[in-house]
Amino acid sequence: MRSIRTRREGPSRARRLAPAALAACAAGLLAVPLGCSQALPGPLPSAHGDDAPPRRGGTLHLATFADIRGLDPAGPVDGLNLAVIHLIFAGLVDYDAHANPVPELADHWDIEDGGRTYRFVLRQGVRMQDGSELTAEDVKRSAERALRPSTPDPMASYFQAIVGYDAFAAGKAEHLEGVVVEGRYIVSFYLKEPDATFLYLMAMHTLRPTCKSAGDRYLDTWLPCGAGPFKLEPGGWQRGVSLRLVRHGGYFRPGQPYLDAVEWTYHMGSIAQKLRFESGQLDVARDLSEPDIARYRADPRWNALGLFEADTTVYGESMNTRMPPFDNVEIRRAVAAAIDREHYRLTQPNRISVLNQALPGAIADADPSFPAQRHDYAAALEHMRKAGYPYDPATGKGGWPRPIEYVLYDKGAFVFTAQLLQQDLARIGLRIRLRLVSYPTFITLQERAGAAAMSPGNDQLDYLDPSAVFEPLFTTASISPEGTQNTAFYSNPRLDDLVARAHREMNPAARKALYREADAIVCDEAPWAFTFGYHFFDVHQPYVHGLGANPTGVFDTSGVWLDRAGDALDRVLDGGLR
Amino acid sequence: MADPRAVARFVKNRSAVAGAAIVAALLAFAVLGPLLAHHGPLESDFVHGVSPDGLPVGPSAEFPLGADRIFRDVFARLAFAGRLSLLIAVAATAIASAIGGTVGIVAGYYEGVRVRVPWPALVGAAGAVAAASLGHAGAGLLVLAVGAGASLARRMAGPHVDVDGLLMRLVDVLLAFPFLLLVMAIGAALERTTAVTIFVTLGVTGWPGIARVLRAKTLQVRAQEYVVASRALGQSALRVMVKHVLPNVAGPFVVTATVQVAQMIVADSILSYLGVGISPPTPTWGRMLFEGQDYYQAAPWLVLAPGVAILLAVWGFNMLGEGLRDAFDPHEA
Amino acid sequence: MSRLLRRLAWSAFVVWAVVSIAFAVNALVPGDPARMVAGAQARPADVARIREQLGLNATPLVQYARFWKRLVHVGPRIIDPKATSDHATCAVLIPLGRSAVHLDFGKSFQKRQAVVDLVAVRLPRTFALAVAGMLVQLLFGVATGVVAATRRGSWLDRLLVGSSLLGISAPTFLIALLLQYVFARELGWLPLDGFGKTVAEHARCLVLPAVTLGVYGAAYYTRLVRDEMAVLLQQDWVRTARAKGLSPMRVVLRHALRNALLPITTAAGLDFGALMGGAVVTETVFRWPGLGELSVEATFDRDGPILLACVVVTSVAIVASNLLVDLAYSRLDPRVR
Repeated sequence: MRSIRTRREGPSRARRLAPAALAACAAGLLAVPLGCSQALPGPLPSAHGDDAPPRRGGTLHLATFADIRGLDPAGPVDGLNLAVIHLIFAGLVDYDAHANPVPELADHWDIEDGGRTYRFVLRQGVRMQDGSELTAEDVKRSAERALRPSTPDPMASYFQAIVGYDAFAAGKAEHLEGVVVEGRYIVSFYLKEPDATFLYLMAMHTLRPTCKSAGDRYLDTWLPCGAGPFKLEPGGWQRGVSLRLVRHGGYFRPGQPYLDAVEWTYHMGSIAQKLRFESGQLDVARDLSEPDIARYRADPRWNALGLFEADTTVYGESMNTRMPPFDNVEIRRAVAAAIDREHYRLTQPNRISVLNQALPGAIADADPSFPAQRHDYAAALEHMRKAGYPYDPATGKGGWPRPIEYVLYDKGAFVFTAQLLQQDLARIGLRIRLRLVSYPTFITLQERAGAAAMSPGNDQLDYLDPSAVFEPLFTTASISPEGTQNTAFYSNPRLDDLVARAHREMNPAARKALYREADAIVCDEAPWAFTFGYHFFDVHQPYVHGLGANPTGVFDTSGVWLDRAGDALDRVLDGGLR
Repeated sequence: MADPRAVARFVKNRSAVAGAAIVAALLAFAVLGPLLAHHGPLESDFVHGVSPDGLPVGPSAEFPLGADRIFRDVFARLAFAGRLSLLIAVAATAIASAIGGTVGIVAGYYEGVRVRVPWPALVGAAGAVAAASLGHAGAGLLVLAVGAGASLARRMAGPHVDVDGLLMRLVDVLLAFPFLLLVMAIGAALERTTAVTIFVTLGVTGWPGIARVLRAKTLQVRAQEYVVASRALGQSALRVMVKHVLPNVAGPFVVTATVQVAQMIVADSILSYLGVGISPPTPTWGRMLFEGQDYYQAAPWLVLAPGVAILLAVWGFNMLGEGLRDAFDPHEA
Repeated sequence: MSRLLRRLAWSAFVVWAVVSIAFAVNALVPGDPARMVAGAQARPADVARIREQLGLNATPLVQYARFWKRLVHVGPRIIDPKATSDHATCAVLIPLGRSAVHLDFGKSFQKRQAVVDLVAVRLPRTFALAVAGMLVQLLFGVATGVVAATRRGSWLDRLLVGSSLLGISAPTFLIALLLQYVFARELGWLPLDGFGKTVAEHARCLVLPAVTLGVYGAAYYTRLVRDEMAVLLQQDWVRTARAKGLSPMRVVLRHALRNALLPITTAAGLDFGALMGGAVVTETVFRWPGLGELSVEATFDRDGPILLACVVVTSVAIVASNLLVDLAYSRLDPRVR
């Protein structure tokens, strides 16, 4: 008697789990050890040597693992879209290879009134991408467009030093009083007080001049148009798929840019990037996995074709100075001494470098006499003893009696370094318990005063000046109930004073001395235990010339030229192959 | 309970026995493995675990299954993870089966009938939902318990409700809800992700499937003569459900549960993959798979070890489940 | 007829309930969408300004009311973006003469695009993946089921049944990794991941994710068809025919498939509804830019408009396929109510 076929539940959508054909499984398992011994293919040669002069023409093919969210310099910007914004929009100020501000669209500037007035004299005859000439009016209009209250600009308040900012940002004033057009090519910025950081702020992307089509109000639908070397044509950006920029023929630097076009493909993972790079479809690989980077660096044919980008990050363990046990400075010193930063580095040996103090590699001076944080196990135990919680490694007794909660999220190097931190701190009697949360939850917890005793701190320099590290991370003024980057809730009047003075100090040598003293305080009192800095590693084919490490850490392809061996190959690659 | 004929059928079935053997072996590995390993599952060894080019070492005498990304012993971690993965899978299945079984049997039994639901139970349920959504799960449970208790104690008046319709609509809603969002919400509401929150999460998202299967089977059983007879004789619904329905749906129940255990193991790994799994450094097989995937070419053992463990566990539990079904109900081949 | 109306009403209720719960969950889960837009290093004043712009300062109840009011409404037939910004994020659903019924999911916080546009672009891709996955499932499943049944008890049967058992639950990303490794890396026959730029490339990029998805359900159909055929093959008339030297295979096959049609349809319908929600892990691993990938991104970015739009689409798809399955079911098999 056949049973009634009742309605059976189909596969539960929550467990949308693919099945393994046993054959594919077996084949895969067999293939894996075979794949291990694959050697790297050789580089594709350049037609002429490195010393040859730059050649015009060709399309640079790039890829990245995610998508970009927008191309407006006045909108939210992250590492990925900044690389594109940097090509479309040029600014008044840029950096040289040593991270010093140099004029770009400005011909020169004058700093007057003890640092309260910055007068920029623009270059004449600069053509924007819509053909019109750049004038001081454009600079003022672009600045007001970016800082208007209806614009979703996350960096507007960086410019609150400009006279009239408060009224303008509140919507009470129609124009920004402190930006004054004083001639066809002369624009002045009047500041409330002397500001040594203003040039660095101008070098950021926020106030870069936009074409007249941008108007004076931010619109999501505006086609980006600026004065940079490459322009975006209508239809050039297929969201989530690809983006193509073409040469701006009227770019103010004669003969540049060398490339005809730059093309990005989005949502290409690291394995796909590697495969396409090896076959020549991709010219630079930037998102390689750690083992792949190791292989490229070890291969003598590829070694010289690798490039480390600038290190503009600060990573450390942030200890909440308002929560026990980290309200005790000796315990913080113990933590800073207990961490073996070399071990941290081994989790990603090709992209992490050890950091012992507050300034990232791009702006730090190597000074062996500087009292930086150091790994010293004996000293760590000594600090624990001074703190009143001595620990005996032989018996395992002592230390802080309760487990300490460490909040983190599941991306990047943190997960691995946190597990190493656990082991290092266990050796001095501090027991850490990891609490993995989602990224939005992490941000919320880290910035609430009583929520997270310890968490991974990280900062990426917004501009290349020590104030970009000290002011958000370690000053009292940065602490706010709505959120703060001072995740240690560190408050030291002496440090506040030093940093405020350095903000106004126009003499470079005096400034440097002030920041050095601030750095020494922060290393000693250890609101953060500094651990490492992160930098990208690029591999490029030999026919890609002119790729340098932009000091801001942005992936900068503005000076690149191509020199593929075999013109026919060039045409094929540009036209057909994907 | 164990029908000797069923046991005999089970033993004769080669794949069922194989399944049982695999499951037993995995359990033994999980329990004994960490005791036999040279290293602890949470200790990094920077002396022996690092190869000359800075990568973790492969399988060797010191590290039978190689070292992981921060140079810990994969063998020890695999065995230790087995404990947690198996525990989560079994516990989650138990929760899902308990809830799903109850809901399925009740819905199937009362299908097509309007049931008088006593007011205290109704108020209790509504109050519990309201309290839970406001964040006071404990208070909610209390209200529910009071309501249920009061309605069981005395015969109370109440509205006539299409219980089956209601429960199945609830199942529909839960099945249509985005899994990831639900998991994140539960994780956020419970403050931290521990083993307990994981198997509660999986149990709570897994029960609708079981409920559907059991409801269908209950509909079948309900039509059988002996059930009809006992209802006609006036036996209470609860009695009929426990004495007659439950033993007869035991077959598909056990099978679904065993298969669910396998699915739960994978669900846990999916949770890790999506970033809402258990906190490190505690390993689960899914977490190990997730952590190792970047290195699958340079250090394939990082993916192979947990991958093979998961596949074996899944296979073993599935064969066991199929074997049990074939043993209990040979006609439903 | 009244049953149909009742079912429709219930379906509408389910969609409303799911979307409302999703809304509540999204509003209550910690994490500030404005913060996610502004970035980790933004200052409180800037975050506050962005929060105001995104309309997140209104109470959840007000936001909820706004959401439903805007979701489906009547508006002008032709939307002129320059004339007014009121209907900038709408899509015309049903034209009604000079007016039309509009569908509006609002604007994405992160991508700053109309969500209807995002969904309209990605929905066909998820649809294609769902259809392709289903086809693979049915093809594989029925074929292997038939083969296994005809060779019942042999090593082939055991192998196929065994792999179907494995198939029922193995981690998608592991399988995806293996398939990628074998077919894309080693053999180079198929693209590794992504979407491609031409239709031909889309088709090639679809193969591996479809096969990944397909094998799971294939396992289920394998068992189903095999069981049906096994039962039939044991019946007397089949044995008689065989003893006489005749081959009853074709008849058996027809009967078996017809009997299996009901549960296959049921499962296929339910499966399809779920697949339309976006096979999240498969889409992520293969970087197939469909709804699944979109909703995962949106969940982690706390991008409410996208998330709710995906929930609406998914629940409508699931509820619709449930409905169709129910109707087909009661048509196909009058024995089961």
